[in-house]
Amino acid sequence: MNERKTIDLEQGWEFMQKGITKLKNILEGLPEPQFSSEDYMMLYTTIYNMCTQKPPHDYSQQLYDKYRESFEEYITSTVLPSLREKHDEFMLRELVKRWSNHKVMVRWLSRFFHYLDRYFIARRSLPPLNEVGLTCFRELVYQELNAKVRDAVISLIDQEREGEQIDRALLKNVLYIFVEIGMGQMDYYENDFEATMLKDTAAYYSRKAANWIVDDSCPDYMLKSEECLKCEKDRVSHYLHSSSEPKLLEKVQHELLSVWETRLLDKEHSGCHALLRDDKVDDLSRMFRLFSKIPRGLDPISSIFKQHVTAEGTALVKQAEDAASTKKADKKDVVGMQEQVFVRKVIELHDKYLAYVNDCFQNHTLFHKALKEAFEVFCNKGVVGSSSAELLATFCDNILKKGGSEKLSDEAIEETLEKVVKLLAYISDKDLFAEFYRKKLARRLLFDKSANDDHERSILTKLKQQCGGQFTSKMEGMVTDLTLARENQASFEEYLSNNPNANPGIDLTVTVLTTGFWPSYKSFDLNLPAEMVKCVEVFRDFYQTKTKHRKLTWIYSLGTCNLIGKFEPKMMELIVTTYQASALLLFNSSDRLSYSEIMTQLNLTDDDVIRLLHSLSCAKYKILNKEPSTKTISPTDHFEFNSKFTDKMRRIKVTF
Amino acid sequence: MKRKDTVKLISADEMEFVIDKDAVMVSQTIRNLLTSPGGFAETKLGEVTFPEISAVILERICQYFYWALQYSRGKETEFHIEPELTLELMMAANYLHT
Repeated sequence: MNERKTIDLEQGWEFMQKGITKLKNILEGLPEPQFSSEDYMMLYTTIYNMCTQKPPHDYSQQLYDKYRESFEEYITSTVLPSLREKHDEFMLRELVKRWSNHKVMVRWLSRFFHYLDRYFIARRSLPPLNEVGLTCFRELVYQELNAKVRDAVISLIDQEREGEQIDRALLKNVLYIFVEIGMGQMDYYENDFEATMLKDTAAYYSRKAANWIVDDSCPDYMLKSEECLKCEKDRVSHYLHSSSEPKLLEKVQHELLSVWETRLLDKEHSGCHALLRDDKVDDLSRMFRLFSKIPRGLDPISSIFKQHVTAEGTALVKQAEDAASTKKADKKDVVGMQEQVFVRKVIELHDKYLAYVNDCFQNHTLFHKALKEAFEVFCNKGVVGSSSAELLATFCDNILKKGGSEKLSDEAIEETLEKVVKLLAYISDKDLFAEFYRKKLARRLLFDKSANDDHERSILTKLKQQCGGQFTSKMEGMVTDLTLARENQASFEEYLSNNPNANPGIDLTVTVLTTGFWPSYKSFDLNLPAEMVKCVEVFRDFYQTKTKHRKLTWIYSLGTCNLIGKFEPKMMELIVTTYQASALLLFNSSDRLSYSEIMTQLNLTDDDVIRLLHSLSCAKYKILNKEPSTKTISPTDHFEFNSKFTDKMRRIKVTF
Repeated sequence: MKRKDTVKLISADEMEFVIDKDAVMVSQTIRNLLTSPGGFAETKLGEVTFPEISAVILERICQYFYWALQYSRGKETEFHIEPELTLELMMAANYLHT
């Protein structure tokens, strides 16, 4: 390598030209033997030598230019003419082939001319050989043909949309050219192809939608839309560039869904209202899926949903009102039944539409909100004069008390209580509910009507979770009081056995309540019979031994008494209230008493006396004889002990 | 030794050197040749002729290839170049892009 002959530009280029021609022939498919490694090295060496010769024979610049010219010449003389004479799909195929060839040519020539890349190009910051090659194609072929290509591709896409089979692989290759020609930038793809494709897509679907919206029902239209979206997505995965997906889908959604949403939802027999009415769960789910992708697409749907639920709820209220007003006013339990039924139905309604929110509407907050607002509207309407707060409290009472109208398994009870507590969330006057609940709870606890302690505690826990500790503190206090009262009673009985003189001679059970927790009860200064007075004193003494700082207030109106009545036919046990007992015991010392005497002796109000005497002389069990024996009590009546009274039972309860 | 993993380098004076393919790839030029698209009839046989490089230089170059491989694997030794070979060796290196 010591004495190299200087290669002249003309000469050297002639040699290179032979190599280039050989390459072209191979690409054109002409019979031409492959390059041997010797050929390769010779070509490479020629370039190398021409670049490393001493100036003025250093031909780097000229070779760089000639490199480019080789492409330009080949393209103008062979490639472009062959493309120009073809059209549509044939043109696309030719393009793909030519591009592929071009890439091969660039690779080969840039290998031969590689030495330029190393020094000449680097030193002058010129575009590298690879880029020069591709740029030639872009400026000569692409620039001229891209619009034609784009139109041919879009036309094929539209054909496929109409159901025809097209060559997807071909389109993929063509579109890939748009990408590759950018050499790292997506600009060409986006500007020269994608923009027009999107416009065309929008126009296509706009036409389709205009027809479908007239002919199709809402569910059918939605099915078609869903299908179209699927197809377009499929199209992207097969031959469009992945970056087109969001833009394409957005266009389709806009034309099919956004534009026509109102008209679609309002379709009279198949729109949103109708679907809700007919429980078309699948269609509603589809509706949600489709419109959730559109900005603010769900708003009209949730609004229709809210209207629907409100209407259904309000209808239930009306139903209950109508049913109640057609029954006789004094058939109290039947009216009560209607209210029970109403609460049950509201629970069912809630369950049904909560399921809709969870399933069809995929737990979306917008729909939770709509459900809540709907329920708030009709849940706060009263039925037959009772507020919703009272209705719910009564409903709970029926479940929790012994012999209540609801006969359910433990699990069912838990579930129902859970649901009632949920409904409470919709009631604006929760404090009113608390009051009603407390009153009924007191009755259940004091008169031992509670069916199951666990359920009582369980609902309190649920209420606490929902409404906070403040809400349930008093109720919890009440339940605790009863437990304490039992303990208290046990120590009272121990006290009595330790102090036999203190024993009043009557079995006494006292329930001590903490004032703040329980509803307020009026305590009247009833004059107790002597026997009972002793009881009170004994207990008071006992209680003093336990605490000195508490004051006991006796509520006689809540007490019960078991009396043995010595009637002529047979002895009977009477279960009466303390008031009734006090009245009856008066007849131990007198045979006949007047109304006013009874009132004075007992020290009660007129209302209480009338009620009291009515229950003993005018109701089911006539334990006292009344003169005159009218149906009502008047202040001029007289009363006698009815020694002839009897009943087939040995033990009766006289209601007050 | 498998045929596929070696390449034969032939000098101007027709001396043949059989070298591992890994070693030969150190030269960018040879690498380009062997990985060109289209496939050569002869790349399958793996022979490359260098009409302008003498056997002496080519031999030294082969030794360089092996040394370069070792160096890249962590064995840092020196590669000694005899002064009288330097110029030719540099020019060959430039040619071979190595």
